[in-house]
Amino acid sequence: MRATTHKSIRDLKRQWRQVAAVAVTIMLGVMVYVATAGAYQNLSASYQETYDRLAFADYVATGGVPTDVATAATDAGASDAITRLQVDPPMLIEDTKLLGRVVGMPTDAHPTIDDVDVIDGDYFDDGATDQVLLETHAAETFGIGPGDTLQIFGLDGWVTVTVQGVVDTPEYLWPARSRQDIMSDPHSFAVAYAPEDMAEQWFGEGPNQALALMPADASAADGDAVQKAMRDAGATAITPWEDQASNATLSEDLDGFDEMSKAFPAMFLIAAGVASWVLLARRIIQERPIIGTLMASGARRGRVLRHYLGQGIVIGAIGSVLGVALGMLANRAVTTAYTGFVGVPDTVIHNYPWMIAIGLAFGIVVGILGALGPAVTASRTAPAAAMRTAGSSKPPGAWSRMVARLDWLPVSARMALRDIVRSRKRTFATMLGTVLALVLVLTSSGMMTSIVQAVNLQYTEINLEDATVAAQQGAGVGDALADVDGVSAVEPTTLGQVTIVADADSYATLLHGYEPDTTMHGFRSQDGSFIDLPTDGVLIGQAVIDLLDVGVGDSITLSTDAGDTDVTIAGFLDEPIGTSVYTTNDAAATILPETSAEAFALSFDDGVDRDQMRQTITQLDGVVAYQDTRAIISTIDDYLGLFWAFIGIMILLGAILAFAVMYVTMAVNVVERTGELATLRAAGAPVRKVAGAIAVESLLATILAIPLGLWMGAVAAQQFLNTFNNDLFQLDLMWSWWVLPAAALGVLAAALISQIPAARAVKKVDIATVVRERAA
Amino acid sequence: MTPTVTAVATNRGVSLKGVTRVFGTGDAAVHALKGIDLEIGSGELVVVIGPSGSGKTTLCNIIGGIDAATDGTVQVAGEDIEGRNPGTLDTFRRDHVGFIFQFFNLIPTLTARENVEVIVEMTGKGDKAHVPDLLKSVDLGDKMDNFPAQLSGGQQQRVAVARALATDPDILLADEPTGALDLPTGRQILGLLQDLHREGRTVIIVTHNVSVAQIADRVITVVDGKIESSTVNDNPADAADVTW
Repeated sequence: MRATTHKSIRDLKRQWRQVAAVAVTIMLGVMVYVATAGAYQNLSASYQETYDRLAFADYVATGGVPTDVATAATDAGASDAITRLQVDPPMLIEDTKLLGRVVGMPTDAHPTIDDVDVIDGDYFDDGATDQVLLETHAAETFGIGPGDTLQIFGLDGWVTVTVQGVVDTPEYLWPARSRQDIMSDPHSFAVAYAPEDMAEQWFGEGPNQALALMPADASAADGDAVQKAMRDAGATAITPWEDQASNATLSEDLDGFDEMSKAFPAMFLIAAGVASWVLLARRIIQERPIIGTLMASGARRGRVLRHYLGQGIVIGAIGSVLGVALGMLANRAVTTAYTGFVGVPDTVIHNYPWMIAIGLAFGIVVGILGALGPAVTASRTAPAAAMRTAGSSKPPGAWSRMVARLDWLPVSARMALRDIVRSRKRTFATMLGTVLALVLVLTSSGMMTSIVQAVNLQYTEINLEDATVAAQQGAGVGDALADVDGVSAVEPTTLGQVTIVADADSYATLLHGYEPDTTMHGFRSQDGSFIDLPTDGVLIGQAVIDLLDVGVGDSITLSTDAGDTDVTIAGFLDEPIGTSVYTTNDAAATILPETSAEAFALSFDDGVDRDQMRQTITQLDGVVAYQDTRAIISTIDDYLGLFWAFIGIMILLGAILAFAVMYVTMAVNVVERTGELATLRAAGAPVRKVAGAIAVESLLATILAIPLGLWMGAVAAQQFLNTFNNDLFQLDLMWSWWVLPAAALGVLAAALISQIPAARAVKKVDIATVVRERAA
Repeated sequence: MTPTVTAVATNRGVSLKGVTRVFGTGDAAVHALKGIDLEIGSGELVVVIGPSGSGKTTLCNIIGGIDAATDGTVQVAGEDIEGRNPGTLDTFRRDHVGFIFQFFNLIPTLTARENVEVIVEMTGKGDKAHVPDLLKSVDLGDKMDNFPAQLSGGQQQRVAVARALATDPDILLADEPTGALDLPTGRQILGLLQDLHREGRTVIIVTHNVSVAQIADRVITVVDGKIESSTVNDNPADAADVTW
């Protein structure tokens, strides 16, 4: 083995703790990259596998004559197109009334588009009349399976059907009724696939949807052509697969993984690069006389450069190899946990060679970049100058002179203030570590707290009702509801599907009708104030401003099965979840088709037993569906459970990042100042005071970086949230009052903990040896 | 045979009995000190000389409580210091010992005044108000607010002397105090040490420069870990007359 290789190995071993800290930071960066990039790829592949296997529709069109629309689609290049009926009728499952969904399906064979995967029981018997296939989320919620019965409310009243099988379906991997209803009380929604003929018979109507499947090699232009053909054939609203409610919701998370796979590893790798730079730069300063001697002896610059560069590469390689190994395990764990949580039928776990190569390259490149500056410095060392071990010949700067005037401060405080600029690399690294840790923590926690606050806003200030009830028209349910013990207010409401059309653009959503002086809904304007429901015109969620290029005062068309109605936009609303249209009940009645159902919004007395309310109200004659708003919050809380775990991990990683960087800078600080520390100790200064002086300096750099870190964390968190904002979510960065102080205190705690090894190093200083050597 | 020097050990004196110091173990063991018996009287100015690696610095470090004897007893300023824990050794050094090093070891980010004040602050002994007087006493009254980089080597070493005096120690230990200085500057420093000795402090100077021995009350020669000789100097020279 070469002597320089021996030297490198021994150098790294001698500073193994600092080397380990840098390697661990690189490892975490690579691990987070491999885990998140892998999870993104694997989750995408898992969804795609299910979509391909079950022929997830590329386009679902409503309006016009579905058979004509389907024919137009195949004529225009779709590989297949079918029609089917989809209705949202009341259902009764295990004594719970809800507004379900019935989707027609052939009994003689599986549908060629939007197929189902029977996971329990069987597919329909050919020609079946009283069988349904129940979507798995509803089956789980109600605890029913093959052989159990449920009731569906049709034109002729309740129809009892038997569950033939429990199915997974690409349309409801996330059980969302619509893009406006992606979070719902699990007891308020169920999807049952019924024989198409029977469904048409129960509801007295024929197919109302056309589904098109594109060839695997279809281009975007091919898709546009098919959509145009479907519109030309009469379709009023077309939902591409990307916008389908379930897929769009899940894509939000996928995009999150994609963003994380870029941003989060970068933070670790930058931190590791800087820590490595500080570490090697210090080593090279220490070894200047050795380098000078080597070069005076004829060592070539390139050889010196490679020697120090090699050490960076070794640190990077150790970190990246470990990071890839752990990342592969984390990738598997994240993918499995996620697909299990969501219930994706197909789980694809693959460690992509390119991903591993990038992970390895990341770590090694960081090692090289961290070592490059110091190595170049080393290779440019002038031998004579390097061997002259000059003392502190650098004159004091303006800052040092200014601090000298602050003689009311203790000397140790003045020392800390001056040391901030004494080693700018070290201060920069400490500050960068602080900033990156705060960005990591605040981005993660900001996303989380913003979601929680958005949910609170949505369900405590906007959706003010405690429950909603769908009832048969004219059954006197409104009066009966008002008489229920615990109900404090009842208001009629209206709900229906509409398509907003503005010039060539359209957007399918829900139309809500309320009483003009409603107490069941808060209309939050774009400036955050609450406004009244206008009697003239409609209020719409602000996402349509960009989607449809419309403004206040513009006229739009609301298209329904009853026809088109032109209305004026009276204002836009800032609502965190969903993008709906709001108007008065009277106006809504003129827009929506007549139905045999009516809806009510209820508010309850404080402290009522909500399960009891559900049971009592759903027993009332004429009540066909009940949805508890609080149960939605509970669902969201469940959903967020997985993400709290994620936030916890990110905060832990942020703390490790802060600790690792600060540990390296502290260790370097102690090494740089060993002579001073030993002198102080020789004079009888106790370890705690000496270590305290060093800690004050490090904490000062941390404290100085905290405002910057909080600001950058806020900016990064908002940017991260913006990637999620669309018509489904409108998230503004909202933090609880404690988040910023807690993040700052957390980083300070990490900084404090990182002082412990430094204090130990101060204690271990061999005073006798050090004081005889010239302080470097 | 190691000569034993007898003197009355007062509270500013030093008494070493059978002191050994071994670095490393087994085949790699280095016996730096081999059974040193030494008495230094209160207020003596002793110069310890010897070739490189003879053990003179180790002897100085053990007296100053920054190194520990492997065996033997060490009594300094009336305190037994062998086997003490680091915390009580800190207190011992604070109360009794002042160090002056070859390379000054000043903190570059502190002014001359602050380099002295920081010792008062960190040890809790001494008075910051007296720091300017200390610096004036080493002829640095007009350089108090200068940083080390703005001082010459001799001036830096004078700051180090003032720093060593900040806690009003009984014993001053100077390890090669002139090693990094030219002759005139070295003389100034020796003069300062001589003045401090005349004030009644015990001063122990460790050096390989035999010329420095001219100012000593007693010259102790250490060779190969043993005291080879201890010679009383009846007519110590004035520092200004020393030459090398």
